[in-house]
Amino acid sequence: MIRNSRAKRFSVVSTAVIAAALTLSTLPAQAADPGVTASEIKLGYSGPLTGSAGLVYGKLPGGMKAYFDHINANGGVYGRKINLIIKDDKYLPTLAATQTTNLVLRDNVFALVGALGTPTHTKAYVAASLAKKNVPDLFVNTGFSGFANKSKYPTAFMVLPSYAMEAKIIAKFIKDTPALAPQASFLIAQDDEFGVDGINGFKLGGHTFTAAPTLYPQNGLSAALAEGALTKLSAVPGKPILILFGTTDTTATILKAAEKLNLVSKFTWLAGSVGGDANTLLALGVKPATINGALAASFFPDAKDSTDPYVSEFLKINAKYNKGVSFDNTVLQGMNSAMLTVQALRAAGKNLTRAGVMKAIESKGASFASAGLVPLNYSATSRVGYNGYWFGQLNEKGELKPYGGKLAVFTTDSSSTEAPTASTYVRKTVPKNGVPTNS
Amino acid sequence: MSKVITDKKRLFAFILLGWVLLIFSDRVGELTQYRGAFVATYALAIASIILLTGYSGQLSLGHSALMAVGAYAGALTINNLKLHPVVGLIAAALVAGVFGLVFGYAAARLSGPYLAGTTLALAVSLPTIANQFPILGGEQGLLFDVGAPPTRLGEEFSQYQWFFWISCLSALIMIWLLVNLLNSRYGREFRALRDNPIAAQLAGINTGLQKAMAFGLSAGIAGLSGGLLVMLISGVSPSAFPLSLSFLLLAGAVITGVYGLGGVMIGGVILVAIPEIAESIAIALGGSEGFTISLPDFMVGSLVILTVLFTPYGIGGQLHKLKHHKH
Repeated sequence: MIRNSRAKRFSVVSTAVIAAALTLSTLPAQAADPGVTASEIKLGYSGPLTGSAGLVYGKLPGGMKAYFDHINANGGVYGRKINLIIKDDKYLPTLAATQTTNLVLRDNVFALVGALGTPTHTKAYVAASLAKKNVPDLFVNTGFSGFANKSKYPTAFMVLPSYAMEAKIIAKFIKDTPALAPQASFLIAQDDEFGVDGINGFKLGGHTFTAAPTLYPQNGLSAALAEGALTKLSAVPGKPILILFGTTDTTATILKAAEKLNLVSKFTWLAGSVGGDANTLLALGVKPATINGALAASFFPDAKDSTDPYVSEFLKINAKYNKGVSFDNTVLQGMNSAMLTVQALRAAGKNLTRAGVMKAIESKGASFASAGLVPLNYSATSRVGYNGYWFGQLNEKGELKPYGGKLAVFTTDSSSTEAPTASTYVRKTVPKNGVPTNS
Repeated sequence: MSKVITDKKRLFAFILLGWVLLIFSDRVGELTQYRGAFVATYALAIASIILLTGYSGQLSLGHSALMAVGAYAGALTINNLKLHPVVGLIAAALVAGVFGLVFGYAAARLSGPYLAGTTLALAVSLPTIANQFPILGGEQGLLFDVGAPPTRLGEEFSQYQWFFWISCLSALIMIWLLVNLLNSRYGREFRALRDNPIAAQLAGINTGLQKAMAFGLSAGIAGLSGGLLVMLISGVSPSAFPLSLSFLLLAGAVITGVYGLGGVMIGGVILVAIPEIAESIAIALGGSEGFTISLPDFMVGSLVILTVLFTPYGIGGQLHKLKHHKH
């Protein structure tokens, strides 16, 4: 009797287990990757919010968040709301490593997006095991060409053109501009991958400077050092070209030193895209008359140009979701990175996986709608984002107008000696209400 | 005879602690392993400050620079000399130790605020000096890679567990050596030096040499912790050793108690836990960005003040008191 009852209980339990196993096996496959549920996609950002770098780039994650809020209000990505978790790394490598690791291991983000800072993110990428854990590192906001190295950073996708590309195109611009070509030229650059990448680009572009570049550590160019460098260069006859290849706060320090020494008109100022944000320069106390006529490279439309369809759409989003924050190149960059992210998530399909997102960018990323006036260069073999620049001249209001009155875009690569070529790229129309519908 | 028994008991206690940590690392997740590695690293750095300040009576505000010396030495050993990472970590301790010995000898005539000022100058200038030599990699710095864990440890054995093992083992060995040293003649000489340098001199102690030795030893331990720190962030650069790190470690030493090594692990835990606790409080309370950003520093500052007011000998002192009461 007991045996019979045991046998009965066993058969009931085993039937239940088999039934449960069969039921579970017929359920649709759930996304195994962390950070994705039926209602949410968790993304992470680590970058400087405070300190001198935070002063200039602190608005970037706010721009991204505002855009994601706009998308969430319009139904999210296939019904999933985007939750962006923002961490301050103060531009310190130790904090960048721990914050990024926290994002991956504690907050379980699906992907990182828009990470900013070469010396910090190169370390954070390894410390947080992004490659080993296959965490997508989307649209890294640094022009360090090393991030395009797929074998070293297999999950990273660059968005900014590399500093080497920029330097090559500056070299061509000087060579092709009759007023600039005969003048002496000098370079003041940051002493890290940023500057080193740039110097390599000038070499590849065949440009020779009149003297060896003046290099300084990040945050290491004091007003006194800048004044010393300018005083020395002021002895050069003619109107020498001074190329400033550093962050915007350093460009401001140099321009203010020129104001103090009354040397603004002595030089032709040419600022790289990273350090040429007029709004920030003006906010940092540079006089409008100083930036008037300065040359700057860019791959974006001017953030002050509200007639540009992308800027116009982003301005509306900024007013609604990023209240009290003035719209500038940094906010534009943040929103553009967020727009690319949404398209990447959509392109990966409803069954969202980390591998799927990376594959989608490789196969469809080059055709994503974006504010950039230069093409995106993603493919199965390329992790490079934008690959070109146009040149403009700043006016007193801080507006960047195409040099010579006509927009001329040039594209190039980071490693060859081939000259940059003129681009005929026509960007895609801005999605209606700024909400992508791609698949 | 009783000294031999005490030494054996101490060795047994350290081995037991190591075994507990080994078991612990197997039971926790990757994030706890990573944080645990930071705890061991900071504990080691705090121990180096306790040796210098609590035992030999010298004040350093520039320990981050000594850590940087060790970190760069380790990275160059691994990258340029192509030696094993373990050799790199030993080199980190040795080179920083020799640097500290030379610096300590030069600064032996200084004391109190003058020595503090000199070490502060070291902390301010060293990262800038590092930028002047291309071999040190400028602002970007150098890679510090100890490699993946050995395959025989199994596929489940993560990189973070490997970091945990390396950091804890280094900290345990170093602190065990340090405790033994401080219980020897040298420890007594350091304490004599701290309490009354003139009396120590009258007793035949070469104060200049002892001061330099204490500085060198402290620098060596700081150098090893610097090597471990950059192992955890995979690279060394000047900005990995800001001045704020020196102050944070000094605050950790005050909270731990500068007159004993008993609380160093708890000091390390506090330094790692405070940013996490501050973040949880900031999320729970809401508040401005300024509040969120200042909260960790505010908490560390408050802890230092509370420690000085209520338990001037720190956590280590309290632990010692408890042990004493038991007997």
